[in-house]
Amino acid sequence: MGRPLSAEDVGTRLRARFGDGIEVTDSFGHAVAVVPREAYRDVVRFLRDEPDFACDYCDFTAGVDRGPGGFEVSTHLHSTTHHHNVRVKVRLPADDPVLDSVHDLYATCDWHERETMEMFGIRFEGHPRPVKLLLAEPFEGYPLRKDFPLMSREVKPWPGAVEGEEDEDE
Amino acid sequence: MGVITEKTPLAKVKPVKFLLNWGRRYSLWVFNFGLACCSIEFIAASTAKNDFIRLGVIPFAHGPRQADLLLVAGTLTDKMAPVIKRLYDQMPDPKYVISFGSCSNCGGPYWDSYSVTKGVDQIIPVDVYVPGCPPRPEALLHGIIELQNKIKDEDIQEKFLSGTTAVR
Repeated sequence: MGRPLSAEDVGTRLRARFGDGIEVTDSFGHAVAVVPREAYRDVVRFLRDEPDFACDYCDFTAGVDRGPGGFEVSTHLHSTTHHHNVRVKVRLPADDPVLDSVHDLYATCDWHERETMEMFGIRFEGHPRPVKLLLAEPFEGYPLRKDFPLMSREVKPWPGAVEGEEDEDE
Repeated sequence: MGVITEKTPLAKVKPVKFLLNWGRRYSLWVFNFGLACCSIEFIAASTAKNDFIRLGVIPFAHGPRQADLLLVAGTLTDKMAPVIKRLYDQMPDPKYVISFGSCSNCGGPYWDSYSVTKGVDQIIPVDVYVPGCPPRPEALLHGIIELQNKIKDEDIQEKFLSGTTAVR
């Protein structure tokens, strides 16, 4: 049984291996590492294979739309032996949201990357089957982007018809 | 009498019609199309406390081909919509549909969603709508009784010839 690494330790080890471009903060006991796009795949592989980290479990890969700040992809790794959590975040420019796929490092990421692909339009280079996972095939657009229009809300703004209010509208 | 079709003899004769509809409304084999949390309430309605078997609703048909009643309970998404259409088409006539809960009635809390079908009646004809989010099991019992009242007065020939199987 190993011991969980603190966020400072994670930062020290990652910077020793990948240079000073990596910024690690502590978020409620989880280490959050913001890494450059080019290093993403290597960092994930390092966290998986290095015995001090031994992150053998990938919880999720997800996307965030930061509006003018571009996109963010966040991959949450957990170690079942050391019981620590490391979240790897990558900032992507809005006009070129492309990232390396890690589906061969963690099988979990296969479906999660497909979901991130269809919801945010982030492309994962090297993904073997980049097709829609949850949405119907004819669906157009990326629904979790902030600029995606919800047609129902164009007709009636949120929160829609409230009970007792319908009669006044009509 | 055999299989009920639009050519069933004497179906308009009053005692025959009564007997036919009496038999049909108290032996509704139900096909559970549980899609979300509403199906838990539906299951609760089938268990000992509420027990819809006493109304003649028999859980559960092994597939749509054995079912008289399709019970849609839960959120129907656009991706699932072709599946429910296909299952409905596989059911033998005369067939009935109960839409159980706000989501299958009109989209419910997902009224502005990008992926939810705003009501199962956009895909298949619905006979009885049960409102609620989720409705109580008692509400389903009431919906079943409403459906049985509709079947009671039904003309089997009209049901077949109307083109749609929904009772209006």
